Amino acid sequence: MNINHAKKTLMEILDGSPEHKSSHYVELLITVVVLMNCSAVILDSVPEIHAQFRDFFHELEFWSVMFFTVEYVSRVWSLGAKYSASEGGAWKGRRQYMFSAFGLVDFFATMPHYLHMFLPGLDLRILRVLRLLRILKLSKYNTALQDLFHAVNSERRAFGSAAFLLLIATIVSASLMHFAEGHEQPQFFGSIPHSIYWSIVTITSGYGNVEPVTKAGEVIALLTGFLGVCMAAIMTGIVASAFSNQLSRKKAAYQSQLRQVLADGVVSDAERDALRALQMKYRLTDAQVQAAMDEAQKGKNK
Amino acid sequence: MNALQLTRLQRLQRRTYEILDGAVADSKSKACEIFIAVLVVANVLAIILESVHELHEAYEHYFHYFDLVSVMVFSVEFVLRVWSCGMKYDPAPGSAWQGRKDYVFSPFGLVDFFSTVPFYLQLLLPGADLRVLRMFRLLRIFKLSRYNSAMDDMFEAVRSEKDSFSSAFFLLFISCLLFSSLIYIIEGPDQPEVFPSIPAAMHWFILTIISGWGNVDPVSLFGVILVVVTQILAIALAAILTGVVATAYTAQVQRREALYEMEVREVLADGVVTEEERLKLQSLQLRYGITDEQVEAIAAQVQAEKKAA
Repeated sequence: MNINHAKKTLMEILDGSPEHKSSHYVELLITVVVLMNCSAVILDSVPEIHAQFRDFFHELEFWSVMFFTVEYVSRVWSLGAKYSASEGGAWKGRRQYMFSAFGLVDFFATMPHYLHMFLPGLDLRILRVLRLLRILKLSKYNTALQDLFHAVNSERRAFGSAAFLLLIATIVSASLMHFAEGHEQPQFFGSIPHSIYWSIVTITSGYGNVEPVTKAGEVIALLTGFLGVCMAAIMTGIVASAFSNQLSRKKAAYQSQLRQVLADGVVSDAERDALRALQMKYRLTDAQVQAAMDEAQKGKNK
Repeated sequence: MNALQLTRLQRLQRRTYEILDGAVADSKSKACEIFIAVLVVANVLAIILESVHELHEAYEHYFHYFDLVSVMVFSVEFVLRVWSCGMKYDPAPGSAWQGRKDYVFSPFGLVDFFSTVPFYLQLLLPGADLRVLRMFRLLRIFKLSRYNSAMDDMFEAVRSEKDSFSSAFFLLFISCLLFSSLIYIIEGPDQPEVFPSIPAAMHWFILTIISGWGNVDPVSLFGVILVVVTQILAIALAAILTGVVATAYTAQVQRREALYEMEVREVLADGVVTEEERLKLQSLQLRYGITDEQVEAIAAQVQAEKKAA
């Protein structure tokens, strides 16, 4: 019973639940260690610093791996408390975490170090790249990043069609350029795969690195460049629209919650806290909340 | 030929139309769609790989036979489409060709035609330019867009804001004429090799619009001012296009939410929600990409309004 309680408390602390003050400190500690690690990776790549502080970096790496291992193990252990036995048992929550994006990052940013201990012949460069994964641990604490993913995810169809358009534009312009200039400039447009490179450069950064020599090539190059401008506009437009739609969705969700709270005429403390938490989660300003409140009141009076 | 046989043929025609059109979601039309899409992708890959000299040398025969088989399949597809589109409208006499004409002159019909038929031209006229033929083959990639419903959304969004788009392009057109004439007049005498004519100056203008710098440094003060203004115009144009696209998408989403809300209101009007109505709402929600939260919000809103009324 007692151990179950400890497990649950640990889970809540690691999950960042606002009920525990210590969860804030845990979050801060992990952030600081991650930032230290990333600075160490960057500084370690400077030869002079590497020569001078070699042992220090080694120690730091060792203790960081210990720290992250403890973090990973306690996360896995404590998440056993997420679901009760009737809901799927201890391992359901653990499995969910271990195979989530965050769980995978936590695993791969730490565990390869042990591999290195057992197999000293491993390529060090891979290990260093995996060490850089630790910076992704920070994204857990960045709710705005999750908003970004949500917004993009909700408009994934539009992004898919933009990507499809981009693919078609790349292949068509590269092929046309190959037909038009393949004989004149075989070193750049000798084959379609070769001219696909030119086409991507032209779409992404404007007029490409190769001057076309034929009239047809010139026209194709200008059209491709203009298409690049349009593609940037489409992508930006979709993102802007996704964000503004997300905001209005959040406002609607908040409003419906508010309406429910106001329906019985009294606002209890628990309800006030729930609204407060929702406001924090959606990051609505007080002015927006006030406007929603006015609207809901008006709706009721009518 | 008696009446029964005719109906059987017509039924076959209607079934073919359904399978090829893909409007009715069933496994056969899905399989047909996937088959054509895979064949198109394989064709595009073949065109790309064939252009690599070494691969072309080594596998010339394979490429040739593959193209032959693809043309056969696409020809059959085209003929079947034309034939079955006779069933698009009610089988009243004379309406069969209405549906066929609709298809043949639609963008998809034209793409289907021009990506396939030029191959036969080559058989008849062996001397035709191969490059032109290959360009027509490339059209096959557009056959894919039929299966991308998000593309339709994009075109719908753009079409609804066509006035704003055309005003942006009008602005581009006017400033192209104005600025290239001005730079020709001002810098033409000093740099006759880069601004020998107004069309050459237009080339410089478009280059500046798309990449920010038109490969030419002005020599006179007015030239410098013109170049800088053109560069600022390029940024403004990009911003205008972006803004129009953003508005178009937002407006589309709002339009769809309004349509969905109208549907919900209609369904709730008689107080009962039948199974059929529920399915209809669900399919509408899926097609418009509305989230469950939004659906809940809309339903709550409509319910509250009903209660108040």
